[in-house]
Amino acid sequence: MRTCEPLLFKNRRIGETVFLEGYRRTGGYQGLEKALRDMTPASVREEVKASGLRGRGGAGFSTGLKWSFFPSDDPGEKYLVCNGDEMEPGTFKDRQLLLADPHHLLEGVLIACYALGIGTAYIFLRDAYRQCAANLEHAMDEAREAGLLGDNILGSGFSCEVHVHRSAGRYICGEETALLNSLEGLRPNPRSKPPFPAVKGLFGKPTALNNIETLANVPHIITGGAAWYKSLALTEKGSGTKLYGLAGHLETPCCVELPLGMPLGELIRDFGGGVWQQRSFKACLPGGASTPYLTAEHLDVALDYETLEQVGTRLGTGGVVVFDDRTCMVAATLNLLRFFARESCGWCTPCRDGLPLVCWLLERIELGQGTREDMTMLQEQLRYINGRSFCALALGAMGPVDGLLRHFAEEVEDHIRLGRCPLQA
Amino acid sequence: MLLSEKQITQLKRRVRETPHPREMILDVLHAIQDANGWVSDEGVELAAIILGLSPLQVEEVATFYDKIYRRPVGRKVIHICDSICCWSRGSEALMQRLQQLLGIAAGETTIDGMFTLLPTCCLGACADAPALRIGKTLYGKVAIEQLEAILDGERTEVSS
Amino acid sequence: MPTLIIDNQTVTVPEGTNVLEAAKRLGIEIPHFCHHEALGSVGACRLCAVEFREGPVKGIQMSCMVPAKDGMVVDTGSAEVLAYRAQVIEWLMTNHPHDCPVCDEGGECQLQDMTVAGGHGIRRYTGPKRTYQNQNLGPFIAHEMNRCIQCYRCVRTYQDYCGGTDFGVLGSRQRLYFGRFSDGPLESPFAGNLIDVCPTGVLTDKTYRFKSRIWDLQEAPSICPHCSLGCAVTPGARYRQLQRRRARTNNRTNGHFICDRGRFGYGYANHPDRPRYPLLGHRRVTWQEALAALQNKLQELGELFGPGSIGLLTSSRATLETQFLTKRWAAALGSDQLCFEAHPGRDLGARVAASQRLDRTASLEDVRNCDLAVLIGADPLSEAPMLALALRQAARRGARIVVVDPRPVELPLAYERHAVSVEKLGQLLRGLSRPQQSEFPSSMEELGGSLASALLAAKSPLLIGGTDLLGPQGTEAMQQAAEACSQPETPCRTMFLLAGPNSFGGALLSAEGPCFSSLLEGMEQGRIKALLCFEADPLADYPDRKRSRAALARLDMLAVFDCAATATLQEADLFFPTTAVEESTGTLINNEGRMQAFEQVFSAGTPLAESAGGSHPPRFFSRDIPGSEPQSAWGILGALMGRSADLLTLRSEIEKNDHRFAGLSQLEARGEGRRIAAPRQYSLSHQPNISGIMGSDQLQLLVTETLYGSELLSNLSSCLHESTPSAFVMLHPQDAARFKLEEGKKVLLGTPVGDLTLTLRIAGDMVPGMAIVPRLRGTVLEPLVPGTEPLPCRIEKA
Ligand SMILES: Cc1cc2nc3c(=O)[nH]c(=O)nc-3n(C[C@H](O)[C@H](O)[C@H](O)COP(=O)(O)O)c2cc1C
Ligand code: SF4
Ligand code: SF4
Ligand code: SF4
Ligand code: FES
Ligand code: FES
Repeated sequence: MRTCEPLLFKNRRIGETVFLEGYRRTGGYQGLEKALRDMTPASVREEVKASGLRGRGGAGFSTGLKWSFFPSDDPGEKYLVCNGDEMEPGTFKDRQLLLADPHHLLEGVLIACYALGIGTAYIFLRDAYRQCAANLEHAMDEAREAGLLGDNILGSGFSCEVHVHRSAGRYICGEETALLNSLEGLRPNPRSKPPFPAVKGLFGKPTALNNIETLANVPHIITGGAAWYKSLALTEKGSGTKLYGLAGHLETPCCVELPLGMPLGELIRDFGGGVWQQRSFKACLPGGASTPYLTAEHLDVALDYETLEQVGTRLGTGGVVVFDDRTCMVAATLNLLRFFARESCGWCTPCRDGLPLVCWLLERIELGQGTREDMTMLQEQLRYINGRSFCALALGAMGPVDGLLRHFAEEVEDHIRLGRCPLQA
Repeated sequence: MLLSEKQITQLKRRVRETPHPREMILDVLHAIQDANGWVSDEGVELAAIILGLSPLQVEEVATFYDKIYRRPVGRKVIHICDSICCWSRGSEALMQRLQQLLGIAAGETTIDGMFTLLPTCCLGACADAPALRIGKTLYGKVAIEQLEAILDGERTEVSS
Repeated sequence: MPTLIIDNQTVTVPEGTNVLEAAKRLGIEIPHFCHHEALGSVGACRLCAVEFREGPVKGIQMSCMVPAKDGMVVDTGSAEVLAYRAQVIEWLMTNHPHDCPVCDEGGECQLQDMTVAGGHGIRRYTGPKRTYQNQNLGPFIAHEMNRCIQCYRCVRTYQDYCGGTDFGVLGSRQRLYFGRFSDGPLESPFAGNLIDVCPTGVLTDKTYRFKSRIWDLQEAPSICPHCSLGCAVTPGARYRQLQRRRARTNNRTNGHFICDRGRFGYGYANHPDRPRYPLLGHRRVTWQEALAALQNKLQELGELFGPGSIGLLTSSRATLETQFLTKRWAAALGSDQLCFEAHPGRDLGARVAASQRLDRTASLEDVRNCDLAVLIGADPLSEAPMLALALRQAARRGARIVVVDPRPVELPLAYERHAVSVEKLGQLLRGLSRPQQSEFPSSMEELGGSLASALLAAKSPLLIGGTDLLGPQGTEAMQQAAEACSQPETPCRTMFLLAGPNSFGGALLSAEGPCFSSLLEGMEQGRIKALLCFEADPLADYPDRKRSRAALARLDMLAVFDCAATATLQEADLFFPTTAVEESTGTLINNEGRMQAFEQVFSAGTPLAESAGGSHPPRFFSRDIPGSEPQSAWGILGALMGRSADLLTLRSEIEKNDHRFAGLSQLEARGEGRRIAAPRQYSLSHQPNISGIMGSDQLQLLVTETLYGSELLSNLSSCLHESTPSAFVMLHPQDAARFKLEEGKKVLLGTPVGDLTLTLRIAGDMVPGMAIVPRLRGTVLEPLVPGTEPLPCRIEKA
């Protein structure tokens, strides 16, 4: 069984939360100290860039590259926003981190702020994560007490304030520009890009946006160095570790930190306990609700950004959701699409009106009322919603439909031909 | 009384002190909801006064979020996850059973005003699917057979 | 200036133009919903997709969101694009009730057009549709939410463009609701624009509800007659009834929008009491009889007392053509007793305003583009509503807006406010006209100094004044201030708010002629025996009604030519019905000297709704159209002078006669109008000085215009009555306390026109020591006219 020395989860013990003392005992805040003492902001950015770290929020954009576009040296107000909306079904990794070890994120936030010349950070947390918020607030109190937060951190002259923002639901708030509107107290519809947040973000000021897991990796890159961090991954292009979620029809669903690039089958077998009730594997979402399915033929595929793209899907958030052989993929897709239709922000037509139409079609097919025409319509929806919506929510929503039509077209046809769901006895 | 004088003064002070008062809109709505269980029309109007906005401007934001309740809810809201992981592990059956036990449909409140039943999207507890949240308590790996006991427990917690 | 190819045609556009707009320049209309020229692009509807074949962007993209770039090759009608657009329409139609037969938008509905154009003929979706409950949004706008296609244009218009805060978007996903927090009238005075911007039948004109289809309407380009800005409008009439007004686009003036006074003021043309027949005494007579009676009387008076015994008066409501022919006729009669405005202060104010250098005169477009506007004695929402909207656009681009006024001035934008008494306004302006010396009275030093340096530093500074409050001296002082605060590269422009839609024309034609006070003197002394009023209402407009009534009573003949039942008409010996603006053609010159022609929309006649009780076809038949006797005032004048009534000839003559009107004969009603060629000769002389010294605890009474209820014609429009306030007086809280008066309670205001019982409003945002009343026609406040020195008054509990 392949394992690795955990970085983000090194202090994680289910049911317990580690605070400052425990965090420090295992080397916590050494990254911050090193950055403030030995490194210039530019060299921190360089290190992160060299590490090959890619965003863990779903889009997988290179963090170093994103930071290199940021006007770090410009004077004036700038913000860091940490995206802790985590509402994509099948994704629960950020919560695990904050439940176990909130200082981890705080240290990452502080190093990022130092690297980017930022004095104010917001941590945006979804409404359901109240315990996480409480943990963070407590960690912040401790950090302030210890001179790790606030004015003149560790006597370095660097000052930084962090605010925790409690949201009130809605998946779209995780989209970075919608999140900015939400923070500003506006309706959280996404903004058009350009201008990008790095140019004009929160309150019109340059804003860097990163996922919780992304930022929590930063202290390790600083302490261990870019080369070491990169070498942790199993695949050549990959770098670092990943918090994989394992959910769905598994014996032991869990969240586990492993080297980036774990083969799917191994992950399911060794950490998910295999498919439950001794059934067989039918399909999975490889990285949250918005990623096209993988099937049994993909069990050897390495779960990293590049490999998954090659097989027509995405690593997304790394939340693997497994379906056993008794699962109707039309029904599963319908469940996913109902989520997306319900979470549409209502701004653009393809998403607001297109997704409910997709749901309607899937419902008809699942109930055995579907026709050939409905199948054609479903294909049209995929073709016309993809890439035509205002933000990526609708694109993600069509991921499962894409997977369904690519891998399970026959199953859909069977519904239509039989006039019922073939998987319901 | 939707909020105490002290709370109102405090919120007003924070609004005055921030350079972007609108930023406080969810904080104010949360405060009102925490104190009253939901945000009534009067609650929206109070928020508007505190924030220096029009009621419509507050309503625009309040009605966007599903965790700001603009209709009365019971003393405890049952959020049952209906997203993919929980669905795959029996949330539909749980939902049906809950409706039976409570005698209400989704979106409704029990006659005694104790529970409101709302389906919700993923609670971030996918490894503990099927999951549901009652008030502030998260329940994972919920088996149908446990539901009655869970509801009883929640009821007695309120009465004690 | 990128050059690109769209549908095989090459076009070069300014940097920053998006592809949708670039195509429009080629006459290619890319289907769209959420884009609007005035509101910009937001990429919400996703209908405007086109295919980019070459250049920096490739594939199918939304044309409204992509800036035009060099080398782009765009196909707006590829098969893929057309199929996609059809899909967008299908999405939008899934929930649409498809109730076109009972929808007021039918026939002028963008959704209908796009649905037909997109070829969406069969509904494939057969599931349930979402439905909504509608709100009562007040007297102007009907609400039918089921028809909504969520283009967000209404919110963007109402909140972003107009600054309203009581209408917006609620909910999310497929359950959006565009409305208010709760039922109630929309608060913004620009709410009517929702009708124009909503591409479907959600927000329609309530006053026009179920009246007509657009193809049954008579429409023509016209000008709003309800203030001096001259906004472009398209009125619509049917069955001899003026049924609505829409905004028309003129980028130099109103842009795309108009105010609610302009939109809903149209009812005056249909007023049931509108006099439609010539009257002799109070007897209905034929045109021949009436004209003969007039001619005879004039001849008689001329022979007995000489031509100087005949006075002529027109007004700011009269067209340039009418004003010009009145002047001609006066000359033909040999009378020099001619005047173009019954209110001397307004008359002289307009004369001064019209003498401003044209390159220093600001249009509304200039206002929208300014970076600093200082309003001194100007209350836009009351005196020229669309100015407020223009200022808001400037403010949205970062302009600084400063308001110096004794009155509470409301604007739909963030602005700096200085409550300053009337006397101090004059001092401030005089100080600004010598900014180097900084001769400000001590209390004004800081404000004056900072304004002067801001005006000098701004890129496109503006001074805006209302002639009512500034008076002729103040107006002149503002012009001097603008001159003094101008730099060679950054001239300071002015905009003056005048009394009516053609005040400027009258000011140009009036030369050094007398003002109405001296005509009144003539009447009082018995020199003037006859007064001919062309669309003028001296009884209501001359500030001292007692004096004008007494003087008019001495006349041998008072002849009135008008389209409204005015106060003066009640006293007339002879009456000639004239046409409403919409029933005729003519030219109006707005407050920036822009000549604007308007076309005839329909022919005058008693609306069928009245003459036939609404039945159509009418139940009785005759060759005569009831109520069709009104004629254009300039037509009547032509007839009286025995000349042809051809408009083009007349305009050529005006233009030849007076080079300032150059281009008049080429004016097209559809165009942007044309500035006059030269301002008025500068003339102000020997005017009385501002006295204004009163006892210190003596209250001063200031009469001002108000949005609804002050302007003659719109006040006759029944759809505005619900929005018109009842009579009130405003006091500063200090004064209210001093006199122990309470908000909302009745008070007794002692004024030169008697003791008036009014409701008290307390306004913190005004200068103390002053009682402010609006001019409200049809109430006890009617005899009080704005545009005078503050009057003495006293106040006590009623
Ligand atoms: C609909 C939608 C929801 C998203 N939700 C989240 C989220 O909950 N958390 C998150 O970190 N990123 C989310 N993202 C991705 C963010 O937009 C953004 O890419 C990310 O926060 C950037 O951080 P990273 O580069 O560190 O991944 C979402 C994107 C979309 C389109
Ligand atoms: S795709 Fe459109 S409607 Fe959907 S969430 Fe994004 S902006 Fe909103
Ligand atoms: S009400 Fe009209 S303008 Fe507003 S979103 Fe709906 S269709 Fe568009
Ligand atoms: S601003 Fe004046 S001219 Fe323009 S629409 Fe309003 S009343 Fe008419
Ligand atoms: S899917 Fe139910 S908690 Fe994530
Ligand atoms: S007009 Fe371009 S998206 Fe609506």
